[in-house]
Amino acid sequence: MKLQKKRIESEIFTGSMADISFLLIIYFMVTSVFSATRGLDFALPKQSTSTPEIKQEDSIDIHVMQGDQIKVDGKPMTMDQILPYIAEKLKQNPDKPVILRTDPDATYNNMIQVFDLLRQAPDKIGMEIKTISIPTQREIQNVWALFGVK
Amino acid sequence: MSILRGRARKVEASIFTASMADIVFLLIVFFVLTYNVQVDRTQVNLPKTWVRKTVPKDAAYISITKDGVIRVSSGKEMSLPVGSDEEVVTFASNVVAETPNKSFVIKADKDTKYEHVDKVLDALKQAKARVIYLLSEQKTQDDTKQ
Repeated sequence: MKLQKKRIESEIFTGSMADISFLLIIYFMVTSVFSATRGLDFALPKQSTSTPEIKQEDSIDIHVMQGDQIKVDGKPMTMDQILPYIAEKLKQNPDKPVILRTDPDATYNNMIQVFDLLRQAPDKIGMEIKTISIPTQREIQNVWALFGVK
Repeated sequence: MSILRGRARKVEASIFTASMADIVFLLIVFFVLTYNVQVDRTQVNLPKTWVRKTVPKDAAYISITKDGVIRVSSGKEMSLPVGSDEEVVTFASNVVAETPNKSFVIKADKDTKYEHVDKVLDALKQAKARVIYLLSEQKTQDDTKQ
């Protein structure tokens, strides 16, 4: 009598694969947050002894004050008037730097709207503002101290 | 006759699920590729701007809430609140000492007073940071109409 060999089929059980995958999906969906990863960039000058000092009279001074008030070179202006004014100045001297001063009491949004406007200069007036300087309060006070103003 | 009297053939209803695993794997691959660890989860209302540049992935974060609470993260660990302005300088100096070309991201609430942002900028200047990003959302035509 011949004994018939019983065949054992080898297989990997994949029934739970979908369950595991779904668990992983839920994990990634819950933990991944759509975060803002874009913003306005600006480079700070490299700290060296040859850093040129920007004099106020050689530059365009933009003063952002509380409540959307803006003064450019001491004259009150609206947002729409700033770029044409700068364009005029840049025609005389394309390297003219712009100093963006903001009052401590103004909001961050006031400042960033003006900064955004200045960065749009190549598109709006066809000229790039090569230097935008954002001095901090300490730096402004240091400059005043140089002139003997407290 | 036998055909007419024949029993109705049973049609088994089933949903084809063999490709389910494939779809699910594709979704997993998508999430794995797009997943990025958010080191700072501070809830702020970002200002809206037209000009926006992509922030480097390994940048250090400094967040400022509306009330002026500052949190810092070197980009590797979760952000922690700092007590004083000097601590921001120390933090930034340590980060710059480790990686001189590290970018810093300022994530500030649009309604925060500028003096808080000014202090952080001053700290970064003192620490000799090179590049700073001011995090913002995309401005649209609708925002300008308002």
